[in-house]
This record gives sequence, C-alpha cells and structure tokens, in this order.
Amino acid sequence: MSKMTKVIRMEFRLTVANKLFIFLTILGPFLIAAVAILPGLLSSSGGAMGGPATRIALVGADPHFVQALSPVFQQSKIEVRAVQGSAGELDSQVQSGAYDGYLVLPPNLADATRLQYVSKNATDYRVIGALQAVIGKAIVAQRLVSAGVPASQVGSLTQSPVFETRQLTQSGEKKKNSDFVTTLMTGLTFAILLYMTVLLYGQVIGRSVLTEKTSKTVEIMLSSVRPMDLLFGKILGKSLASLLQYGIWVAISAAVLKLIGPTLGVSIGAGLSIGMLAYLVLFFVLAFFLYCSVYAALGAAAEDEQHLGQLAWPAVIFLIIPVMLISAIISTPQAPVIVALSLFPLTAPIVMFLRVFVGAAKAWEILVSIGLSIGATGAVIWLSARIFRAGILMTGKRFRLSQVLGLARSRSR
Amino acid sequence: MIELRSVSRSFGRVTAVDGISFATRDGEIFGLLGPNGAGKSTTIKMIMNILRPDSGEILFNGSRIRESDKDRIGYLPEERGLYRKVKINEMLLYLASLKNAHRPAAEKRLDEWLARFDLMDWKYRTPDTLSKGMAQKVQFIAAVLHDPEFVFLDEPFSGLDPVSTDVLREAVLELAGRGTTILFSTHNMEVAERICSRLLVIDHGRELISGSLADIKSRFGHNTVIVEFDGTIDFGTLSRLVRSTARFPRWVELELVEGASHQELLRVLLDQVSVRRFEVVSPSLHRIFVDLVGAEGKQYREPVGA
Repeated sequence: MSKMTKVIRMEFRLTVANKLFIFLTILGPFLIAAVAILPGLLSSSGGAMGGPATRIALVGADPHFVQALSPVFQQSKIEVRAVQGSAGELDSQVQSGAYDGYLVLPPNLADATRLQYVSKNATDYRVIGALQAVIGKAIVAQRLVSAGVPASQVGSLTQSPVFETRQLTQSGEKKKNSDFVTTLMTGLTFAILLYMTVLLYGQVIGRSVLTEKTSKTVEIMLSSVRPMDLLFGKILGKSLASLLQYGIWVAISAAVLKLIGPTLGVSIGAGLSIGMLAYLVLFFVLAFFLYCSVYAALGAAAEDEQHLGQLAWPAVIFLIIPVMLISAIISTPQAPVIVALSLFPLTAPIVMFLRVFVGAAKAWEILVSIGLSIGATGAVIWLSARIFRAGILMTGKRFRLSQVLGLARSRSR
Repeated sequence: MIELRSVSRSFGRVTAVDGISFATRDGEIFGLLGPNGAGKSTTIKMIMNILRPDSGEILFNGSRIRESDKDRIGYLPEERGLYRKVKINEMLLYLASLKNAHRPAAEKRLDEWLARFDLMDWKYRTPDTLSKGMAQKVQFIAAVLHDPEFVFLDEPFSGLDPVSTDVLREAVLELAGRGTTILFSTHNMEVAERICSRLLVIDHGRELISGSLADIKSRFGHNTVIVEFDGTIDFGTLSRLVRSTARFPRWVELELVEGASHQELLRVLLDQVSVRRFEVVSPSLHRIFVDLVGAEGKQYREPVGA
C-alpha cells in the first residue's frame, strides 16, 4: 500500500468518525428530498404551501354572480364573498385581518374597464392572476351576452387555446419543456445544495490543512511522506468520505421518496430525468473536488482560522454569482457571458448544469467545461502543494499572500 | 551513515546554511550545536528531504539521499505536534506505517516504549489529555517506533523536567548502545557535554568547530578556572589576569590570559570573597560555545524566535 493510500485511509476514517459528519449524514436526506419535492410543490397550482384559504371581499357584487364563481376560486384556495360597504370600512376590515383583500365591482359589470384590488400583499401573483382570469372572463362573458351572443356559446367562444411549449434541443430532439418555475427551483436548489456542501466540506478540508500546518504535525508527516502525497491524501480522503455520505443520502432519499412521494402527489425528481440526474452528480463531483482543492490551497496559505475565512471569500463569491444569475441563465442560456461562465471552472458546475438542464449546451461546450474543471483542480492541487511547502517555512510569522506565492514559485522544496 | 558535503541553502537573501560538511559514524551520538537561528533546523530539514539544498550533497550510506531512505530515519522535530483527536496508539502506529514498518513488530515495540515511559494508561486516549512532558515522550516514541537506523532529535530535552530528562537521556543512550546513530541538535551545552561523543558547532549557517568532545576541549587549553564563592566579585580587579568570564549565580568560570598565574588569581579572589571551590579545568562546552559564538564575557542569551 502506498503512503498516499495510507494517508487517504487515515483521513477517511478520521472524517467518518466525526460527530458533525454523522449528524449531517442523518440530516442530509431531508435536504435531498427538498431538491426533489420542493420544485414540484412550489410550482403546482394553488401552492399556498398548506396555509389557510385567501379571503377576498367582492364589493358591490351580485351574490348569485359570486356564488357561481366561488367553486372556480376554491380550486386556487380563494374564498370570495359578496359584501356591501364603503372603501373606508373595507380598508379597516383588511387591516384587522377579516379579509385578505377586496375588489370593488361596479353596478354594471359589463361596463367595467378598470377594477381595483386592495390588499396588504399587492404582489401575490397567485391571487391577482386568479382574479384577473376568473373575474375578467366573467365580465367578457357578460359583455358577449349583452351583445346578443347566446349564453350557451359564450364558454367555447372565450376559451383560449392551450399552449404547449416544445423545445428543439441541441441534439435535435423535441422535448416537452418543464416550466420556468420548476427549472428555476431545480437550479436554485442545486446551487444552494452545492453552496452549502462546499462551505461545509471546503471549510473542513481548509481547516484540516491549516491545522496540519499550525499544529506542527506537518514536520513529522513530511519526514515520512512527500508534501504532494500528504495533500492529495488529505483531499482525497476527505472527499471520499463526503462522497460516501452522498451515496447514503441518495439511497435514503430515494427510499423515502418512493414511500412518501405518492402521498404528496410528487414523483421522484420533478423535472429531473435519469440523464439530468447523472449530469447533476457529475457537475456536483467536479465542483466539489475543485472547491475542495481551492480550500486546501487557502488552508495552506492561511495563518489561522480567521485568516482562512477572509481568504475564502473570493471563492465563495464565485458560488454566489451563478445563484444571482439563475433566471438570466435559464432565459438566455446562449448569451456570451453565460457561455463564458459555463466554461470558467469556478462557476462552470452550476451554470453549465443549468444550460444542460434547459437543453442549451452544445456537446463540445460540455466537454470543454468538464476538461477545464478537471485541469483547474489538478492545477490548484499542485499549487496548494507548493504553497503548503512554502508555508511550512513560514509558520508562525505574519506574511503576505504574494510572499507565499513567490516562495511557491521558487524552487523551495 | 549520513554525510553532508558542503551543503548550502538560502532563503531569499538570507543564507541559512553555508557550506556545512560532516559525517556521522555508526552508533555514535553526534551533536549539532548552535544558537537558535544558526541553521540547525534547516540542516535537519534538508537531511529529511523536506528542503532541497541549493548546493552540496547529502549522502545516506554512501549514496545520494532518496525519498525511500526516510523510512530508515526517525525524526523528532523541534515543533511538537500530534493530531488532537486521534488515540495515541492509533497515531503512533499510523506514523510507523508511513515509514513502512512491519505492523506486529511495531505494535510490540509500542507496548515496550509506552511501558518504559509509564504511558500505558494513555495508550487508548487522545493526546489532548497529555502533559507537555508526556507529549514529548510520545513524540519520541513516534521517532523511534519503526526501529530506524538513524534518529534525528531536534532539541529533545527542551521543556522537560529533570526526571523526564533523565528517562529520555537513558533511552537515547540505550538506542546508541544498540547501534542506532543519533544526531541531535541543541543549544543546551550541559546536555550536549553529557551525551555527545562528537559534535559540530555552527552559527549563521557556518561551521565554527567540529570534532570529538575531548579534541575540542584540548584545543581550548587548560587555562580555565571554576570558582564557587560567597560574596561579590569586582570583576574589574581581575581584568589583568582574566581574558573572559562566564558568570552564574553561585559560581564563575574564568579563562586566564596567557601566562597568568592561577595562584595570583586565587589571592585576588580571597581578598574579595569567601572561596568554596577553586578548580583548574578544561573549559566547559558552554564556555567554548560562548567564546565561539562571540558573546564573550557574557552568559549566553537565547535570542527570541527561531
């Protein structure tokens, strides 16, 4: 067994025996279940997240008219009631919480050109959308009736055709496109999961390299193994432990989803096919190793934990950028900036995954992106081994990053 | 056998080691002496293949030192460190395995060493419960557990109480008796004087003197006097007779100027203090060291930092 293998084994065992690790292994499946279930739940109609129905007062409405519409509203979890009263009275009722909002209807509905909806939450697109669709349609129907169209034909006349989007992907296949919200939520969940994992494990690896350096264990280690073997061993040992954790998570989540998924009315991975899942795992692993090696380099360069935190910020920002750009990535996946970000190793995993997810990535782009990520990981590990070696000579002294890089460049060994 | 041939290493503009040469003999205790910052640790790191020399070469049993030779060397670094969360037996066997030691043999030796240092109760505990002295013994075990031919001990006795120092010194002497070559660095001259057979004194990366302890002492002559006394000596009155002094609270080591008489010195001293001991000796290693390093007439002070 090579010395590096021994280091890997030791690091693996140390990580797996850690309490935080065990705790997260148990907690993890809930996170994964969230990736699979949340997009479905959030984008399903009437996603009021199990809250009480929204109560809306229709001011000056005919009770019969309201009664006819209320089953339609109930589908969106909205309760409508016909009331009479002044705007002032209703304002105070909304303030007191008796109603969530009110809509003022004119005596003659067919003449209405402008309706005003008042509520404390004027941006609830679900309620506003439902009101527009239902009341709007009812008003148009009334106009048609008063213009002499037979009431029986009104329904079919006002029915707009169903729009189905089919997207021509790079491979030429036409696939049924998942809707924007599901894509957004899947991307967001993936990005956040990656972000959290990298923060967690990256810190663990960074700290472990830093501790190795500052606890002076390093001298005794380096009297037996090469710096490169030690660093590779540490990164690989810790990474394998986390991948094991992921394996456990995925297995448990799959089992849980199979059991409780049907009860929630959500199928496994809404919007995630097996192929996509493979891409997700691939980009996750790439990002994981890259960021772990970045953290290893930072741990080698850092002087103490606080310093490590400061040094880590630029790296963390590269994880945040794709999260901020998510809707742009989904709507304009071919924009040059987005393509560039999908090739740049630090942002590639999230951006490229999303581009693949919406079917906008060319095969060569995916290959280049993967190649660059692997290359960057190797380069960063090599660099961190040099910084590590240089750092050993400088422990305990304040130094500038440029100094370390200078030493790393020189023939120090 | 380890041999250094005009080995040099610099960091930027600072030359840490400047043309050092020496060769150890099998089974001897070789002392590498020098003040802090003299280049001892850099020399060790080069032998351990952690640093590469800028010039010169390091030979192990006659050929250029290779990575695999590390398995036959034990190293107790000056900076002690153990993984805080790993049990002591696991840690030590892990380190031995990194030296490719045969596991059952290492386990047997581990028990022997732990018993010898009275650390059996700590075998399955983590090092955060250890006192400093115990941690140092554990690190010593780490250096010798794989039964190396060659052991490098960097300041092995610093920070140890007298009892632990004795225990460790006996262990070192026993290892040497069994044929292990021991190279150790220190700036503690009393310790060096008691256990080294040969030594090399370096400062600012350069060799000041080397050879066997007896040779070095004879080179420095017999014009040294140790005086133990009660009272206060006015050293100004001695300047005619004494070239340099090393002062300690209860005694003083005096080096006489060429041709000065011991008897005259004793008379001058008797006028001032009550002399309890007056002995003509070969100079102590401490004295030689202080002279060599150039802090003449003063007790050697430890510079801060390494």
